[in-house]
Amino acid sequence: MVNDRGQLYTMEGVAAGVIMLLTAYIVVSTTSVYTAGDTHIPDMQLEQLGSDVLAMMDTPDRDGKESQLVGFVKMGTGGGNDLRDAFLNNSRMRAGDPDNDLHAQVFLSYRRSDGSVNTTELSPPSDPGFTGRENAVRVTRWVQLDGNPSGIPGLGYSPRPRAVLVEVLLWRA
Amino acid sequence: MSLDFLVGFTIFMLALIMVVSMVPGLLVGLQSSGIDYDAVAYRTGVILAEDPGWPVYPPWEMKTDAYKDEIERMGLAASKETPNILLSTKVDAFFNSFFTADDYRSKAIFGDIPYSYNFSLRSEDYNYATGDPLPPGYGYIRRAVKIKEPGVANISYNSSFNETTLDPSEPRVFTVRLDFSQLLDPSVGPAYRIDPRTEPVNITITEFGRYLNATASAENATLRDVTFWKMDPTVPMPRFTRIPFSYNTEDPDLYTLSLDGNSSDLKPNAPVNSSISLVLKPVATSIFTLDQNSVLDIRFTFDDGVPQRTFMNGTYLYDYDNVTIADLKPAVLEVAIW
Amino acid sequence: MAGMNEDGQWIVLMGLLAAVGLFFLALVINQSAIVGQTTAEGVIEFPKNDIRDLREAVFDYTDKFRTVPDSDETKKNVQKDIIAISLERKNAVVDFSVGGPQEISGRNLHPIEIRYNNGVTEYHETVYY
Repeated sequence: MVNDRGQLYTMEGVAAGVIMLLTAYIVVSTTSVYTAGDTHIPDMQLEQLGSDVLAMMDTPDRDGKESQLVGFVKMGTGGGNDLRDAFLNNSRMRAGDPDNDLHAQVFLSYRRSDGSVNTTELSPPSDPGFTGRENAVRVTRWVQLDGNPSGIPGLGYSPRPRAVLVEVLLWRA
Repeated sequence: MSLDFLVGFTIFMLALIMVVSMVPGLLVGLQSSGIDYDAVAYRTGVILAEDPGWPVYPPWEMKTDAYKDEIERMGLAASKETPNILLSTKVDAFFNSFFTADDYRSKAIFGDIPYSYNFSLRSEDYNYATGDPLPPGYGYIRRAVKIKEPGVANISYNSSFNETTLDPSEPRVFTVRLDFSQLLDPSVGPAYRIDPRTEPVNITITEFGRYLNATASAENATLRDVTFWKMDPTVPMPRFTRIPFSYNTEDPDLYTLSLDGNSSDLKPNAPVNSSISLVLKPVATSIFTLDQNSVLDIRFTFDDGVPQRTFMNGTYLYDYDNVTIADLKPAVLEVAIW
Repeated sequence: MAGMNEDGQWIVLMGLLAAVGLFFLALVINQSAIVGQTTAEGVIEFPKNDIRDLREAVFDYTDKFRTVPDSDETKKNVQKDIIAISLERKNAVVDFSVGGPQEISGRNLHPIEIRYNNGVTEYHETVYY
C-alpha cells in the first residue's frame, strides 16, 4: 500500500540532516577565518624583542658613560654595520643555539636645514636576502647627539646638537 | 514501526553523528594554535622584566621559605622606572630557591588554568632555568635585559689608613661608613644606585699584611670584633649608637665574614694576616631599621694589647667614588608557557 | 499534500536544536580565537615602547638644556627635530614643554608636559624631572 505518509518521515529526516550539516559547514568555515588572525603574534614578539634590544643598547653600562647606541650613531655611516651586528648579536641570543634566522637593516632619520625629514640607510650594503616582501617589523629609538653624525648626506647644518631617530627593520628569514 | 520511519530516523542519526564528530576537531584545532599561551607568556614576560615585584620594601626577594606567602608578585626589575634592568639579587632569589610550581603560577604567571612554564635567563655569566622541558606548540616571549650587580668595596693598601703615630696600646678601629642620604640621592638613577636595603654590601680588605706593625715584626693581628653602629643626623645632637645584633651567631642569610678565607662570626677574636671579607646581606640591613637619612658604620676592631700588631685605623667612605660598581651585564630572559 | 500528518516533525525539530547548539558553540569558539588575536594586536597597536622612548628622549633633552634659555636656537632646533621626525616617521603628533625649575621636596625639578597622539592612542603627561 502506497500513500503520502510513506515518504514523510524520510523527508523530515533529510531536512533535519541538511540543517545540521549546513550549520556545521558554516561554523567550520567562519572559525577558520578568525584563527588566521594569529599571524600577528610573531610580529608582536619580534617588535618587543627589537624594542628591548634597542633600549638596552641605549642604556649606558655605567652612570654617566656614553651608551653603545650613541657611540655607533655618532660614527654615522661608518658605524652602521657595527650597529647592525651588535643589534643582531643581542637579538639572536637565547638559550641553546643563537636564533640565526633574524636579519636586520638600520636606517637613520634626521631633519635637514630646509625642515624636511630625510631617512638614509646606515648599514650598506643592503642585506642580500631582503626582497621587501618579508614580514618585517620596524623598531625605533631616539638618540641625541652633540654634533653631526659623519657621512650622512645633506645634513645642511653646521654641526649642532640634534635629535635623530634610529630605525631598525627586523625580520625573520 | 514502519519502514519509512526507520529510513528517516537513520538519515537523521547519520547526519547527527557526522556533525558531532566534527565538533572535537574544531576544538582541537583551536587548542594547538597556542593563541592564549602567547598572550600569557607576553604578560609574564612584562611582569618579570618591567616590574620590581610586590612588596617593594622590604623587597620580596628577602622573604624566606616560611614567609613566602607574603609575596604578591615576583618581578625582577630594579625599579619601576627602569624596565629591563634586572637586579641580580632578585634573579638569584627567583631561580635559586624554594619556590614550587604553584608559587610561580600564582606569583608570576597569574592564570586560571595551571599552565606549565619554562623560564630561563642566559648571558655570559648567568645560566638559570626553571620549569619543564619544552613541548611543541608553546607560547613564547624573549626579552633583552641587563643585569645590575651589587658594588664591591675593594680596600687595598692606602697609607691614610696606616696610622703609625697612634698610641701603641690603643685598639685599632677601621670604620666603613655608609651615608644613606648620599647613597640614595635621587640624582643617581635606580639602575646605577648603591642601595644597601636591596643589595648586599661587600667589603673586601686585601693586602692586610701591609698594615701590620713591621717594627714589632708582627705576622698577624687579632680581629677582636666587627660591630654595627648607626646615627640619625636629623635628631638633635646626633651620635652613633651600637646596633643590637646577634654578633655571636654565624648566619649566612644575614652576613658572611671570612678571615684569610675562613668563615667566622662577627666576634672572631682570631688572628688574620692577609685578607678580610665581609658581605652584609640586605636582610640584616632591614633589621637595623635604617631610613634614607641614617649613617651606618661598620667597625672592625683590632686589639692585641701592647704593642698593637696592626696600624689599620681610619674611616673608609662606602660611596660612589670608592666602591667599584660593576657594569650592567646584557642577558636574555625567555618565558615559555603551555 | 492532503492527508499529511505531523508525526514526523519532531525529527526536524531535533535537527534545528542541534543546529542552534552548534551556533552557540561557534560563538564561544570565535570569542576565544579573538582573545589571542586582540591581545597581539593590542600590544602592537598600543605604542608603549614609543611613548617610553619619547619620555626618555625628553628627559635627555631636559638634562642637556636644563640651564639653557628657551630662546636658544640650538635648544629650539632639537625640539623641532623631535617633533618633525615624529610626524614624518612615526605618524605621531608630539609636543612637549619644559617649565622652569620648582623646588619639590628639597630638589629642583622641572615640570615637563608631554603630549602624544598617533591617531589611535592619545597620551598626555605632566611629570617633574
